Amino acid sequence: MLAFTKKTNSAALAFLGGGAFWFAIGATYGLFSAIDLVAPDFFQNIAVFVFGRVRPTHVNTVIYGFITSMLIGCAMYMVPALLKTRLWSERLGWVSFVLWNASVLSGPIGFPMGYTQGREYAEYLWAFDVTLMLALLALIVNIVMTIAHRRENSLYVSVWYFVGTAIWISAVYPLGNVMWHPSTGAMPGLLDSIYLWFYGHNLVGLLLTPLAVGAAYFVVPRITKTPLFSHTLSLVGFWALVVLYTHIGGHHLLQAPIPNWLKTISVVDSLMMFIPVGAVLANIWLTARGKTSLLWKDPAGRLVLFGTLFYLVTCIQGPVQSLPSVQRLTHFNNWVIGHAHIAVLGFSGFVALGAMWHVLPDVCGKKIWSQRLVSLQFGLVMIGIVGFFVVLTVAGLIQGGSWYNGETVYRSLPLITPYMVMRALLGLFIIASAWVGLVNFIMTLRHGQPHISTPIEEAPS
Amino acid sequence: MKMTPALLVIGGLMVFWASVTVAVFLPHATLNDQPSDIWKPMSEPDVAAGHKLYVRNGCSYCHSQYVRVLDWDVGSERIAEKGDYYGYEPAILGTERTGPDLSQEGGEHPDDWQLAHFVNPRITRPVSLMPAWEFLGPTEIRQLNAYVQFLGGKDADVRVARQQRWKPPAIAAWLAGPAKNVEWLHAQVPKVWQAMPNPYPATEPDLLRGQKIYQQECINCHGPVGDGQTVAANYMQPPPLNFTILRGHLVEGKYIGGIFYYQIMNGITGTAMPYFKRDLESEKIWDVSNYLAVRFLGYTDATIEPRGIPASYEPEWKNTFVAPTTQEAK
Ligand code: HEC
Ligand code: HEC
Ligand code: HEM
Ligand code: HEM
Repeated sequence: MLAFTKKTNSAALAFLGGGAFWFAIGATYGLFSAIDLVAPDFFQNIAVFVFGRVRPTHVNTVIYGFITSMLIGCAMYMVPALLKTRLWSERLGWVSFVLWNASVLSGPIGFPMGYTQGREYAEYLWAFDVTLMLALLALIVNIVMTIAHRRENSLYVSVWYFVGTAIWISAVYPLGNVMWHPSTGAMPGLLDSIYLWFYGHNLVGLLLTPLAVGAAYFVVPRITKTPLFSHTLSLVGFWALVVLYTHIGGHHLLQAPIPNWLKTISVVDSLMMFIPVGAVLANIWLTARGKTSLLWKDPAGRLVLFGTLFYLVTCIQGPVQSLPSVQRLTHFNNWVIGHAHIAVLGFSGFVALGAMWHVLPDVCGKKIWSQRLVSLQFGLVMIGIVGFFVVLTVAGLIQGGSWYNGETVYRSLPLITPYMVMRALLGLFIIASAWVGLVNFIMTLRHGQPHISTPIEEAPS
Repeated sequence: MKMTPALLVIGGLMVFWASVTVAVFLPHATLNDQPSDIWKPMSEPDVAAGHKLYVRNGCSYCHSQYVRVLDWDVGSERIAEKGDYYGYEPAILGTERTGPDLSQEGGEHPDDWQLAHFVNPRITRPVSLMPAWEFLGPTEIRQLNAYVQFLGGKDADVRVARQQRWKPPAIAAWLAGPAKNVEWLHAQVPKVWQAMPNPYPATEPDLLRGQKIYQQECINCHGPVGDGQTVAANYMQPPPLNFTILRGHLVEGKYIGGIFYYQIMNGITGTAMPYFKRDLESEKIWDVSNYLAVRFLGYTDATIEPRGIPASYEPEWKNTFVAPTTQEAK
């Protein structure tokens, strides 16, 4: 029974497919949220479409369903491939897949009905925090056992990042969701915000970022057929990430009454983030130096290349908006939503998509059905994300400036109407790209030409 | 340095937990929050239920709950302190202000305004982006109202008490009939404001600016023709004022500008009429006052005596409106 769950790489394929599916669903929920902010009575009195309920559905589905799933799928293929072995247990991989998706599914089913813990990014109910944790623990066992059975002695940098992610996030998640308070999932009082933003920040910093960086470290040397530029830079990037990222969550609370020393640390170390970011990008780009045309020609490589570019944009913007003087204008408004999209979709989403298309043939043994559709997906999502970033940043500055000048929130609402309309329209490009991708994925499985997988030749440093 | 599995896992965990100690456990151990001077327990069942609804319905994705030093909007009379949140679980501070901060919302408006606003925010706020919550039903809306009226703790209590203090006399005046109602309303306005003309010439551009403000802020309560016959009237006691009857209630047979200005700036506590001093600065209030007067009373006292030296920008404008005689107005 369930013989398909024993097939090599089947669990990885399931995670990749889940990611492609949730991308389409999650982006569609983004559109519902965007419509609510253009025409609040469009879905008047339809409870399941009310902004406060579709927004968390959107956010959790894209983060846990789309990007994390897709990158876990990549990791489940990359780790064994880099270690010249097989995943220790495909079945256990499937257990992770089922549990993980139970949590993700609880979003679109539960949140629109009002079943949520309501803390941003930590909305899943306790039972689904548990399934998510079990999925993570099963993944950890699987990876550790795979490493134990490896036939390649040295660990490539991607493996560091995937292992790191797994062990860090399995601590970040229960802490941030305050899982020892099952009914509220929260600490009492102001302290809760410190837990929440420790978590919210590390969700992007110790989950999305290391997964995406690990995947980029795999894809870029492979497409450019060049060994990684520098082992030292890999080490610096990796250790500086966990040293610094972990304690800068306070920069989400700079204007709230949390202790000043915590704010100071978070601002200083937000600026220090140039070390891990610079090290990673220098390493990847110097690896690709002179060979970027190879990346550009391969649509998967193109997605990863632009993902790394958006990583730079995000991480220039990030430290700048950590400065208290800048936050006076940018906090509480659409500027941050712009940052969130260029970061989560532009960086980790692009890398996830690129890495997914890159490994898919090896994972399923079929060639990509249509490379042109991958290019089309790239083009559509590019228009969407660049447009989002511009439109939301402008809207944010308008809001921030008018509040700073003493206008009320209510008075500034008509000022952002045009930008809310443009955001909704640009969102259509992103949604279209998601559906194009999903179709291409399904067609690859059903009608792709056979593909003989290429083993990883030498393990670079 | 060669990365071995042991180094990776043990090193990774050590660095991570060291950071967590600094970023989470240390604040946890030292935060030492005590109730602040305005803090109150969430003991009433309706308030606690409303708090749950606030969390479940994602109000926090549009509303923050802390006021900063640089804020001017709702609640800006009190900067948030850590003890304001004592024991609330969860106290969601929020990251977006699609709508205003709500940490001091209690008593900003009377219950009838809040109920109408929850049923559909466009009833009281024409260009609002907030969703309609009618689908929650009357019980849950009542609980949400209890919660928002609680926000602000003891400071909110003062404001809520003020709303409750003025509600009965306002209703009594309204029940006494339109004329008595206006007399009562005007009697509450300080004397110096009563016999005060609008100092701004009611030029065409001035009236157009006033119209724009009326449409953004007032129209859904007072109505397109200023008679107060609106959906909002079904929810409010007293209902929004019918401006057209004011023709017969000019102060000393000629003044209305000062009363308009005062009522719009300050609101009429106890009734659904909000204060607009945060939304509109001085000139805008005078503009909309002229608009009300010309459009709905067919008369404005703009620039009549007493007046000082005309402002430098003022065009040559002559007030040709004739004050209605008491006879004609009745
Ligand atoms: C889509 C974003 C959005 C959501 C979700 C939302 N609001 Fe609002 N809210 C607004 C906006 C915009 C305003 C300002 C305009 C207005 O007064 O309607 C506002 C105003 C308010 C006000 C009046 C503030 C004042 O004194 O002027 C209250 C009270 C309020 N909201 C409560 C809530 C509650 C309770 C919920 C959850 C059930 C909620 N809001 C959900 C956007 C939102
Ligand atoms: C939420 C509904 C509501 C909104 C919005 C509203 N009003 Fe009112 N207004 C009222 C109510 C209710 C009264 C008092 C009725 C009473 O006590 O009889 C009132 C009274 C007034 C009065 C008092 C007149 C007098 O002679 O004392 C003026 C002036 C006024 N409104 C102007 C405005 C203007 C201008 C705006 C927009 C900037 C506005 N209102 C917005 C509900 C509203
Ligand atoms: C699939 C790729 C996408 C990703 C990864 C993504 C990610 C996110 C994230 C992380 C947030 C939370 C932002 C914050 O709280 O600061 C968010 C909010 C939002 N997103 Fe997306 N998004 C995507 C696509 C879309 C699309 C296609 C649309 C619109 C059509 C959209 C519209 C919105 C809206 C309206 C919000 C709420 C903003 C607010 O609260 O004002 N998103 N998204
Ligand atoms: C150098 C690194 C970075 C720094 C210093 C940084 C800084 C910040 C700051 C200061 C905020 C809060 C802004 C405000 O509320 O005013 C923020 C929000 C956010 N960041 Fe970053 N950022 C960085 C990288 C990233 C990356 C890599 C991602 C995603 C992969 C990301 C995703 C987000 C998201 C989703 C939010 C919105 C949180 C919310 O809901 O309010 N950031 N960032």
